[in-house]
Amino acid sequence: MKQAQKEHTTKRYGMVIDLDKCTGCGSCMVACMSENNVPFKTDESNKLDSITWMQVYKLTNGKSYPNTEICYLPRPCQHCAGKHEGHSPCVSVCPATATDYSKETGIVSQIYTRCFGCRYCMGACPYHARYFNWWDPVWPEGMEKYLSPDVSPRMRGIVEKCSFCFHRYQLARNKVYLEGRKDLDEDEYQTACTQACPAGAIKFGDLYNPEHEVHRIAQPDMQHGGRPQNPHVFRLLERLGTNTKVYYMSERRWVRKAGDNYLPGEFENPGAVAGSH
Amino acid sequence: MDAALIPKGVKRCPMWQFLLALGVVGAVLAWGVYAMLLCWIKGLNQTNMNDYYGFALWIWADLAVIAVGGGAFFTGFLRYVIGKNELKNIINYAVLIGFICYSSALLILAIDVGQPLRNWFIFWHANIHSMLTEVAFCLSCYFGVLCIEYIPLILENRQIDKVPFFHNLSHNLHETMALFAATGAFLSFFHQGSLGGVAGVMFGRPFAFREHILVWPYTFFLFTWSAAAYGPCFTLLVTWITEKITRKKLVKDNVIELLAKISGWMILSYIIVKGIDTSYWANITAKSMGLSLHDFYGRNWFYGYWMLFTELVICGVVPAVILITSHGRKTAWLRVTAITLGVVGVCLNRWVMVLQIMATPVMTFDKFVLYYPSWQEVATTILPVAYGIILILISYRYLPIFPQEAELNPIDTNEPVSRETAIDADAGTDSTDTAADMAPA
Amino acid sequence: MDDASIWSQNWAWTPVPADGAVTYENSTCTLCPGGCGITVRKVEGRAVKIEGTKGHPVNDGGICILGLSGLQLLYGPTRVASPLKRIGERGDGKWQKITWDQAISEVSAKLAEVRAAGNSHALGAITGPDRGTVSGLLERFLLVYGSANFVRTPTMMDNFEHVLYLTQGVEATAGFDIENADLVLSFGSGIIEGWGSPVRMFKANARLVENGADVFQIESRLSNTAAKSKHWVPINPGTEADLALGLAHIIIGKGLFDYNFVSTHAHGFEAFKQLVQTRYTPAVVSEKTGVAPGKIEEMAVKFARAAKPLAICGRGKGSAPGGLKEFLAVHMLNALAGSVNRQGGVLQMPPPDYIRWTEPVTDELAAEGLRKGRLDGAGSDQFPSSRHLLNRFIAAAAEDATAAPQVLLVAGANPYYTFPGTQVVKKAFDNIPYIVSFSSYMDETAMNADIILPNHVNLERYEDVPVIAGLSKPVVGLSKPVVAPQLNTRHIGDTIIRIAKAMGGHIAGAFEWDDYQACLEETLSDKWDALSGSCIWVDDAYAPPAPDQAFNTYSSKFEFNAGQTQKALNADNPLPEGNTAEYTLTLIPFDAMRLANGYIGNPPFMTKIVADTVMKRKDGFIEINPVTAGKLGVKQGQRVTLSTPVGEAKVRVNIFEGIKPDIVAIPRGLGHTAYDEYLAGKGVNVNELLGTVEDPASGHDAAWGIRAKLTTA
Ligand SMILES: Nc1nc2c(c(=O)[nH]1)N[C@H]1C(S)=C(S)[C@@H](COP(=O)(O)OP(=O)(O)OC[C@H]3O[C@@H](n4cnc5c(=O)[nH]c(N)nc54)[C@H](O)[C@@H]3O)O[C@H]1N2
Ligand SMILES: Nc1nc2c(c(=O)[nH]1)N[C@H]1C(S)=C(S)[C@@H](COP(=O)(O)OP(=O)(O)OC[C@H]3O[C@@H](n4cnc5c(=O)[nH]c(N)nc54)[C@H](O)[C@@H]3O)O[C@H]1N2
Ligand code: SF4
Ligand code: SF4
Ligand code: SF4
Ligand code: SF4
Ligand code: SF4
Ligand SMILES: [Mo]
Repeated sequence: MKQAQKEHTTKRYGMVIDLDKCTGCGSCMVACMSENNVPFKTDESNKLDSITWMQVYKLTNGKSYPNTEICYLPRPCQHCAGKHEGHSPCVSVCPATATDYSKETGIVSQIYTRCFGCRYCMGACPYHARYFNWWDPVWPEGMEKYLSPDVSPRMRGIVEKCSFCFHRYQLARNKVYLEGRKDLDEDEYQTACTQACPAGAIKFGDLYNPEHEVHRIAQPDMQHGGRPQNPHVFRLLERLGTNTKVYYMSERRWVRKAGDNYLPGEFENPGAVAGSH
Repeated sequence: MDAALIPKGVKRCPMWQFLLALGVVGAVLAWGVYAMLLCWIKGLNQTNMNDYYGFALWIWADLAVIAVGGGAFFTGFLRYVIGKNELKNIINYAVLIGFICYSSALLILAIDVGQPLRNWFIFWHANIHSMLTEVAFCLSCYFGVLCIEYIPLILENRQIDKVPFFHNLSHNLHETMALFAATGAFLSFFHQGSLGGVAGVMFGRPFAFREHILVWPYTFFLFTWSAAAYGPCFTLLVTWITEKITRKKLVKDNVIELLAKISGWMILSYIIVKGIDTSYWANITAKSMGLSLHDFYGRNWFYGYWMLFTELVICGVVPAVILITSHGRKTAWLRVTAITLGVVGVCLNRWVMVLQIMATPVMTFDKFVLYYPSWQEVATTILPVAYGIILILISYRYLPIFPQEAELNPIDTNEPVSRETAIDADAGTDSTDTAADMAPA
Repeated sequence: MDDASIWSQNWAWTPVPADGAVTYENSTCTLCPGGCGITVRKVEGRAVKIEGTKGHPVNDGGICILGLSGLQLLYGPTRVASPLKRIGERGDGKWQKITWDQAISEVSAKLAEVRAAGNSHALGAITGPDRGTVSGLLERFLLVYGSANFVRTPTMMDNFEHVLYLTQGVEATAGFDIENADLVLSFGSGIIEGWGSPVRMFKANARLVENGADVFQIESRLSNTAAKSKHWVPINPGTEADLALGLAHIIIGKGLFDYNFVSTHAHGFEAFKQLVQTRYTPAVVSEKTGVAPGKIEEMAVKFARAAKPLAICGRGKGSAPGGLKEFLAVHMLNALAGSVNRQGGVLQMPPPDYIRWTEPVTDELAAEGLRKGRLDGAGSDQFPSSRHLLNRFIAAAAEDATAAPQVLLVAGANPYYTFPGTQVVKKAFDNIPYIVSFSSYMDETAMNADIILPNHVNLERYEDVPVIAGLSKPVVGLSKPVVAPQLNTRHIGDTIIRIAKAMGGHIAGAFEWDDYQACLEETLSDKWDALSGSCIWVDDAYAPPAPDQAFNTYSSKFEFNAGQTQKALNADNPLPEGNTAEYTLTLIPFDAMRLANGYIGNPPFMTKIVADTVMKRKDGFIEINPVTAGKLGVKQGQRVTLSTPVGEAKVRVNIFEGIKPDIVAIPRGLGHTAYDEYLAGKGVNVNELLGTVEDPASGHDAAWGIRAKLTTA
């Protein structure tokens, strides 16, 4: 297996998010908005039309005072591979090929200029990772100055989502190429949210690469769609076969259980269930 | 004053009444057009759709009109492919209703997308694996076929028919109509199916997802089947409404009853299959994803079990039973109740297959979100209804839609009944397609 | 076809950011006292992204949402674009643009007039922090002008400094070696809510998680910190000092304290022991705090047995000072555990000492003014070891127009919004005839000032940033201009120097620098080269003094029982304002990372990610327990009126399992009336519902809540 992984010329970029470290501070969300020219409106309190490529969910164990527990769960696009690579829920349905699965990186892209806003992909994504531009993006006078040229601002009427900061991958690749090197180092391509997270809760890297932290923590079984072998690591809605590349880690069982749907008793009997923790 | 345009042998309401009706419906149409322009100019923020409800009222309306418009392809299929000749007396109207439904669907789609100017990307950058691509292709092609089926009707207008070119064109079109009808039926099987496929392939949405046969999920077949089953109900319902408004009998009972009977058996078989599908989905498919029926129907008052019961029993089993029994379909109120329930049932099915999919949370920590449409969405959804009524008003007034109308409603005047109409009046015994075919060359 | 396609893809009003050469510049964030290193990505002179500086001793690459949103402040609509003079009524927002020369001559003329009338003591200044050259210049200005009324905005640091002074005899700030602790007892400190240096604390918290450290979070509401701690210990709010002393009771009773430290390096232990053994028995403490006796014992034993235990306090972000008793009691726990000046413990940190300006020469008018002393009574016989008492300053100004300052300078502070008991500030402002704001932003205080002399924002200016927010090494950062000033603003240091020069005489004489830049370079002379390059200077060699050298008390030992300590420990807990018969609930403010609640208001990105259970459209929410909601018959999302003895507000209800029954909680940071349309008018400013309660020992505001009631109407 190690040999097989060494020979991968392609990458499978992914994340491991340590939910026991995540504080819910929101730096990942704001870092993402700031990195990716995400617009804002005067009222963003309707969370159903507020564009947040990275969304931090608040989970509770449902118990009453004083046994209540809270966990925060940051949710970027999960960069689903699907049952066979490329059959992501969203990519497979887009009629205009405006969102695509890269066999080179495993990243699910979004082509803003091709998307015509049918929103089928949004319906297909169980993670609500996709956002529609219901409004024209408007920055207050002068504030367009901070817009980054690396990511084009989107227009009204199209869908956008987390790209794993793909432009950072491109910049890093260019650099490596110019320096005549073959491969990117782990720290040469890191996403904005990973970089910003004050708690160090997000790890990002190549799941194929045994030397990368994401691989070491998640211990993905790439022969079986990347299922995590670390018992404290899980993926969201593993059982749907979306084969996501964002892994979550927690010591707390109720948190791991919240990652997927289980019939009564199933979670406690993992042997009986495909894909449970 | 438009007497010259009105088909021979039939009576139409006075011009002022016609214009008044047009005016009233036209006002509704204008309201819809205004809302449509708002959506185009200001964008989809005019709607109450949101990131949880990417598909909402419009996509439901789309699916619903296409489902009820299914009367056209299925009646065509029965008439031309199976050879149910009696149905020629209702096929014109079925085609007209189908044409209205499909053109409405296309119009709604054009409003629904975020970037209408890029609509053609669906063809240009087509992803052949996408059900929506299949929908777009089949829908466009079938709409073309419906146009071809509708054009001869227009050409039959008394004045147009006088132009030799149009007359011949019309004649030639009729010659090939069977071919188009067959093509249309075939295309329809696909796009009705692909609309079902749109939901069924969403494996991230356990409420929608269905196992596959070949490349198609079960919903593919269920949608085709239900459109074939319930589409005729809508044709019959609109015909009944038309008869009530015109206060005339327009289609003979034997024709109505035949279509009702076929529809009844189709509904019954559909409901059996749908029942099997539902129970397989609930017990096998959903459970393999850790979900039970209760997660879908037991957590929200609106999307509750009542909806499932209404869809399957009240609007499925009940109309089926009424329509397959001779007493049921021959008793007017029972028949009308049944076809109404049928139409409601298929619309409800489409509602569930669009909106409940969006409403039902998949992540355990996600929430059930409800949605209500904005007035702009309502107006643009009513827009095609208004447009349809106008098209029916005009078509009915100037085109010989109902071959049996003159026979069933002899005009009691001193004018001699024209020869054509006289012959037309006992149509049903020969193999002519429409009254126009009998016109002297 | 292609043209059509392009035309449909680009709309003229969707901006296309210009590309260009990319550069990175380091600086230090000054948006909170945290002192994080930031690296700003620039494209042809435009700042496009702020990131945390990798390897920085404070934040090592991490960054908080406020720091990340810095560019929205820099380029945003809330900035004051030029000097402004009020033309309408105060607060009306009617301003006249004036030139800098006009602004300086106007302010200096006004100051000269007051001074000439023999009222130099009637000049007041309110600042944010009081360290570094900027506040140094302002304080110096007041000194030569002849006023002692320089007041810094209070924080928990006031109490920590006070405690170190009383127990250890040092004028020092407190450092906390959290990273190396193996057990943390937090009395409501928002470890991940912005306490101390926020990003540093996030990182420390991650270390605690990694090390499996026991963290006990003691507070009545399930804050994020409580949620993330191993143990949440709900407590009756306001009884933290009792709990700490109750823990001391058990630790002493079981003989679990650090015998070496107590016997060799401490003084007054017997008296302290006497106090806790008689008055803080587990039964009494359990009754008061609502914490079960078993839990108290468990905590005490675990704390005492841990290798490196640490007790901290200062609620939430620590922006309110709190009661001295609580801080003393908590510090005693550290002393009992021997966690004073040791790895993983509380460290006495030398105050930054690089500002060594020559004593200014003052004139008779100044001497006369200084003799009149401070309006707030800090340093007086009543409060001998308190340095700044903003609450008393404001109360005094509100109470008596003749005693109120005649000119007030406000820099790096927004008391009109942040002070608990907004009505009192309003009254005080009404009594102050001339208010000068140096704010970069149109905040509430600036809105209610008479003249605004806008400072550059942090990304446009140089400033030394001595970081005192609980770090365990002395750190000085440098904030550097990353972009040219965007508007007609001036560095506050330059403005002060110019005003001083315009006033002439000894005042001008005390400011012989050409400008602020010259002052800064001279002040930092030995550190300047290092700082101007990396923007950070750390005294890595710093180690706290050994116990036999650390304490500068009379006994040269750690004092368990100094006079003021005794007074404070024997005092009753400050009670919240209001009678319990009418007001059956208790309102507590709380801090949250997604709401900036200090001098800076939320930039749009931050407001964007505020949960819809905290703010929805214009409505703010209160948190109440389902039991309380049931009792009052209110439902999730319902609109209710929340009243306290000082005010009332329309709010919506958020039912939250994680809050103690009969408590109502509101976050700080909403309810702004100033700033921009992205922030103003949303939610409730909890300060309008709060009042202050004077701590008998320190004089600081010790209030932690207020009585409240809910009415549905
Ligand atoms: N009597 C009894 N027996 C039971 C059960 C019961 O209820 N009663 N429950 C059963 C069930 S449901 C389960 S799941 C099993 C659990 O049995 P185990 O699999 O033994 O589970 P843990 O005790 O959690 O041990 C997991 C190990 O992983 C380590 N670990 C933690 N994080 C990481 C990491 O990032 N990487 C790696 N490599 N290791 C890590 C931990 O330190 C620990 O040693 O027990 C089963 N046995
Ligand atoms: N401290 C510590 N905590 C742990 C672990 C650990 O190593 N250390 N291990 C964790 C792991 S891996 C696991 S799997 C868990 C096990 O922890 P739990 O989830 O608490 O599992 P059990 O204790 O086995 O019992 C679960 C409950 O489900 C009930 N139950 C059984 N069958 C059914 C059913 O069909 N329907 C319903 N509704 N209820 C049913 C049982 O009666 C029991 O009350 O412990 C976790 N917690
Ligand atoms: S930045 Fe890190 S700690 Fe903060 S919410 Fe995101 S993942 Fe959690
Ligand atoms: S998370 Fe959603 S958007 Fe992202 S790849 Fe998966 S289905 Fe697509
Ligand atoms: S909204 Fe855009 S990306 Fe999504 S399916 Fe439609 S065209 Fe594709
Ligand atoms: S990976 Fe990049 S695009 Fe995705 S959430 Fe993180 S910052 Fe945003
Ligand atoms: S914690 Fe404070 S200093 Fe650090 S980035 Fe945030 S606002 Fe700036
Ligand atoms: Mo387990």
